[in-house]
Amino acid sequence: MKHFTKLAAAAALGTVMGTAAIAESLYTPNLAYRTGPFAATGIPLMNGQADYMTLLNERDGGIGGVAIDFEECETGYSTEKGVECYEKTKGKAIVTQPWSTGITLQVLPKTNVDEIPILAPGYGFSPMADGKVFQWAFNVPSGYWDAADMIVQYLEQDGSLDGKKIAFLHLDHPYGKEPLPLLEKLAAEKGFELLPIPVGLKEMQNQSAQWLQIRRERPDNVVMWGWGAMNAGAITEAVKTKYPMENFIGVWWAGHDADLKLVGEEGAGYKSISWSFPNPEAPVMQEIKEMVFDAGLSQSNEEEMQGVFYGRGIVMSMILAEAIRGAQENFGTAEIDATQLRWGLENLNITEERLEELGMAGMVPPFSTSCANHTGHSGGWMLEWDGSKFVKVSDLLTPNVDGYSDLIASAAADYATANAPWAMNEECSATN
Amino acid sequence: MLYRTAGQFKTSYVADQALFPVRQDAFLLGILLVFGWVIFPLTASEFTFQTLLIPILIYALAAMGLNILTGFAGQLSLGTGAFMGVGAYACYKMVTIFPELNPIVAILLSGFFSAGIGVVFGIPSLRIKGFYLAIATLAAQFFLVWLFEKWAWLYNYNASGAIQVPNLEMFGIFVSGPQAASVTEYYIVLFVVTLLTILCINLTRGNLGRTWKATRDMDIAAELIGINLMKSKLTAFAISSYIVGVAGALYVFMWKGAAEPNVFDIPLSFQVLFIAIIGGLGSIMGNYLGAILIVGLPVVLNVIAGTQVFQMSALSAFILIALVAAIGFLSWVARSGWAIGAVIGFAVLTLIYGYAQTQGFRIDSALIEHINVMIIGGLIIFFLIIEPHGLNQLWRLIREKLIIWPFPH
Repeated sequence: MKHFTKLAAAAALGTVMGTAAIAESLYTPNLAYRTGPFAATGIPLMNGQADYMTLLNERDGGIGGVAIDFEECETGYSTEKGVECYEKTKGKAIVTQPWSTGITLQVLPKTNVDEIPILAPGYGFSPMADGKVFQWAFNVPSGYWDAADMIVQYLEQDGSLDGKKIAFLHLDHPYGKEPLPLLEKLAAEKGFELLPIPVGLKEMQNQSAQWLQIRRERPDNVVMWGWGAMNAGAITEAVKTKYPMENFIGVWWAGHDADLKLVGEEGAGYKSISWSFPNPEAPVMQEIKEMVFDAGLSQSNEEEMQGVFYGRGIVMSMILAEAIRGAQENFGTAEIDATQLRWGLENLNITEERLEELGMAGMVPPFSTSCANHTGHSGGWMLEWDGSKFVKVSDLLTPNVDGYSDLIASAAADYATANAPWAMNEECSATN
Repeated sequence: MLYRTAGQFKTSYVADQALFPVRQDAFLLGILLVFGWVIFPLTASEFTFQTLLIPILIYALAAMGLNILTGFAGQLSLGTGAFMGVGAYACYKMVTIFPELNPIVAILLSGFFSAGIGVVFGIPSLRIKGFYLAIATLAAQFFLVWLFEKWAWLYNYNASGAIQVPNLEMFGIFVSGPQAASVTEYYIVLFVVTLLTILCINLTRGNLGRTWKATRDMDIAAELIGINLMKSKLTAFAISSYIVGVAGALYVFMWKGAAEPNVFDIPLSFQVLFIAIIGGLGSIMGNYLGAILIVGLPVVLNVIAGTQVFQMSALSAFILIALVAAIGFLSWVARSGWAIGAVIGFAVLTLIYGYAQTQGFRIDSALIEHINVMIIGGLIIFFLIIEPHGLNQLWRLIREKLIIWPFPH
């Protein structure tokens, strides 16, 4: 019966969608959001991702001689649409890129049954780092717990955090709550007081209540887990209430150039941890400018291409492209399938030399993955807004993963128990 | 012709009061049931189950619950989304506290929790009416969603604050969670929806339904003829919330698989209210028609946008047949020239789009989304101008015309 329904499903899908298929290409759909309340932050990332793939198609004829079909499916950041897109694309896709923590949470259990790798660069569920449990999920090169740990490390450079008060301004959504378990653990260890301040989805643009609380509590630092309209809201409100910008640090999604251009000079000193750094002089950027942008194949613009988010989009596509290339070499076939791509993602080794070859030196820290480590824990840099652009103000920070590997393992185990029966990778012998 | 009633004599009161006084109605419903229970499950793809069949049924059920309250009993409510949430969270708590509980029983029981909450928030309806009551139910909407966010016990203290559906088994088959096959989920949804629809049809035809309609049409007159308004309004709130709660449990357990609190926020209430209004307030079938328009059509349009319209495909043939049928019915039933013009215009645009596709034109996904929203908005206005009482009334007019055909009046 199951076999029959699968056959019928395949046949029906084939008749409906078969016409859209392009022969001889690797289908890597992107569940993009260029509409809705989060579009402002989504568009530069989507453009960067698409432009790198276009460059590979234009310059090298794809990867290993096979063109990349990097189709976008619009979700508007809505989980309902996201699941619709996942169902629509999963028939031919060798990877799925869900693009929101909400969609990731819904798609994650399904990918484990459908056996499609889920690539969530820098977002999603932090315990996905445990590759033995989450054998199909990858949040390379760094997860949210890495980010929280690096921010705390950076703050510690100015002296012990004992007795200090850190406000945690976050979106009241699975995404914003993601780093809380780690921050609570670090607060207990290092003796600082953690003050979580949630911002509801409806209050993103009007955070006066939250900033009134910040003014009253006078925290030494504000750490922000914001996205979309919330970032601009928080930054303008911080300027308005005269909160010292140098004590205000955001996660990598809260470091969008356009949000800070709103306040310009007054935002100088605002910091954001990031695993990517834009380098408009990098060879790869020059090539994109010549072969994609000047050829009219890009939806981006000059100003956006200088920004942090566009550069990050390029890094994301580079990670996927490297995984595809690795899988092609290992299996000796250009047209790889989902299982082979999973091998590619599990055996990424992005070294300094490889980045140099790709013309992307300094745009992302080197990292590698294994079957047990699906994140890579690349570390990142602290970026600071100097009034007109983001600059690096720290050396490479690396997360102290040993400090919370127990937390990752226990959260992953809890997830597997709650979703039993959950298929795990029993063959993997590597350790984190 | 198709609907000739000649020769169908009623010889007893029972026959005259039957659910289907016209034989063809029962026949049509039979065909629909065969499609729903046999043909769709055998032919549908995973995509069709997950984006069309299951959501349309669940939204239709939620709209039916709201229709009991707003369409039959006349009490305006904007809290549907939150009551769906109560059902979903109640079901989640039940299956995590008692893992051996039968999932269908859990889903049907979860409605009682939302019924209780619905009655509590329905008490103000005894004193206030109309828009003022809508504001009171709006308070329920905001309060309950806030509660889903803040009361960590409800989501078992998950770090993400979201509820995640576990894999639930029934007689050795997975019925819920990621391991469940879509066809199983579909049958469960269909079973529950069929059951509750039969219940609703008979409730609204019976004593209680008449009480509700009297309360809706003029509550003072209803009180004067001896109807207990408190009982009438509160039963409407209880039964409506029960159905909405069951729809909420199905929404999370049989379809989404996971949900964060803001899923149940006011946009969901509005969506269900739009389905009920466009389908037709005070009707049962209208909920299904409304759900097909509001939930199903955007998905179909998206698929069309990604398909080569000119190439052979079952879908584009179906669209063409639908267009011809639409023009036929409109010229005959609505007799509105501009409506026909609008449909023809839409068809011409589709053909132009199909032609552009053959010339290598590929529309980008964001633009599709924008156009999609515009088409849906346009269609809502279109149907409400053609027939302000909703799609159900439109169908009733078509049926009347078919019965007296070939005479015009």
